[in-house]
Amino acid sequence: MSRLTEKHNLKGTLVCVEGIDGSGKSTQLTLLRDWLKSSGKDVIFTEWNSSELICQTTKLAKKKNLLSPRTFSLLHAVDFADRFTQVIEPALKAGFIVLADRYAYTAFARDVARGADPQWVRQVYNFAIKPDLAVYFDIDPQSSMERICANRAPKFYEAGMDLKLSNDPYESYIIFQGRVIREYQKMVDEFGLVKLDAKDSIHTKQVEIRRLLKEILNAKGVEI
Amino acid sequence: MAEFEKKHNYEGLLIVIEGTDGSGKSTQLELLKRSMQDQSYGVIVSEWKTSRLIANVIDDAKERNLLNATTYSLLYAADFTDRLENQIIPALKSGFIVLLDRYYYTALARDVVRGQDIEWVKNLYDYAPEPDLIFYLDMPVDILLKRIIGTTGLDFYESGRDVGFSTDFYKSFEIYQNKCLEQYNKMKQEYNFISIDGTKSIEEIHEIMLAEVQKILDSGVLY
Repeated sequence: MSRLTEKHNLKGTLVCVEGIDGSGKSTQLTLLRDWLKSSGKDVIFTEWNSSELICQTTKLAKKKNLLSPRTFSLLHAVDFADRFTQVIEPALKAGFIVLADRYAYTAFARDVARGADPQWVRQVYNFAIKPDLAVYFDIDPQSSMERICANRAPKFYEAGMDLKLSNDPYESYIIFQGRVIREYQKMVDEFGLVKLDAKDSIHTKQVEIRRLLKEILNAKGVEI
Repeated sequence: MAEFEKKHNYEGLLIVIEGTDGSGKSTQLELLKRSMQDQSYGVIVSEWKTSRLIANVIDDAKERNLLNATTYSLLYAADFTDRLENQIIPALKSGFIVLLDRYYYTALARDVVRGQDIEWVKNLYDYAPEPDLIFYLDMPVDILLKRIIGTTGLDFYESGRDVGFSTDFYKSFEIYQNKCLEQYNKMKQEYNFISIDGTKSIEEIHEIMLAEVQKILDSGVLY
């Protein structure tokens, strides 16, 4: 059994956004945060790979291409575990609305795309709490690349160059992110991710997310 | 699931010395290394928590008491993985005798004492090859405690202060080391440790270890 498949009964509300780079996650989460704050809610925002404990090490190791699929996976798990125990769980206990830019699903998608056993990664993250709302922004690899690589080449790990899929970073990016997307799509059913079309307008997506969150908050007796 | 019972198929030999802090592991490792080298075998020694990738992060985080049970487990697993992939397995493939000061049994003992589920910890290490020999230096707790206090002194994490057993430093240390020993005792059977009485003299212990290693070497596996 895993906490990831059971409803939590903490006071707070956990919302996460998922999807590959360039799918518009952060824009949507920022809009959501501003709305919640202006409505006077207690909001905490947390981002993937940002823990004080480890994120500098991970970034440096990425720059030097030092990571294998396994160490890549474990270092991101350290980051998540640190933020989970220091920020996410205490905030949920205290009744905050926690907004997470990427959650354990990012690890499930990326690590499995790198060849990790799906059950192995899920076991590593089995301490994570199931979000009240998990939104997945679906986009195709080509559009994602056009958005993030407008004026730079894809980075080594983001293109999955460690997997030696292709010597061309652009081609590698398309193949690797295609794999990541397939993993995300499988998780829509497995974890009940809410799938939104990343190609919809910013406004359309934001309206939908607010509607979903409102329902969840109202069910908990929180007016907004 | 776990691949713990899997013997490796590499050319080299994987030999592990386990035991709690202060049990004399590094002294024995050094002696064993010299004996092997004297016989013209290629030997590589690798110690716990020495990866280029992460070892200094662990030291730094410990210094600032930044670790909780989960990040503690995961950081050590990352350190181990980096050493396994970059030192241990390449050396085994090239036919070296790899001598290890601690192996994943250390993680199993320490993490379980910190309250982690043992299956969760085993999952982190499930790809580690099974050693050819595992020596365990068995020490009574009272002697261990004196040894540690007399050498390195009481350390925050090695006293399990992070677990909160007791606010009394010595008491916490005693409880923590006892609990670690309990875990090692459970593993003795499960993983076929060659348990050696750690109160014997350095030379006596070395002779016992050498005899075991020699048995394998004389069978000609490294020729």
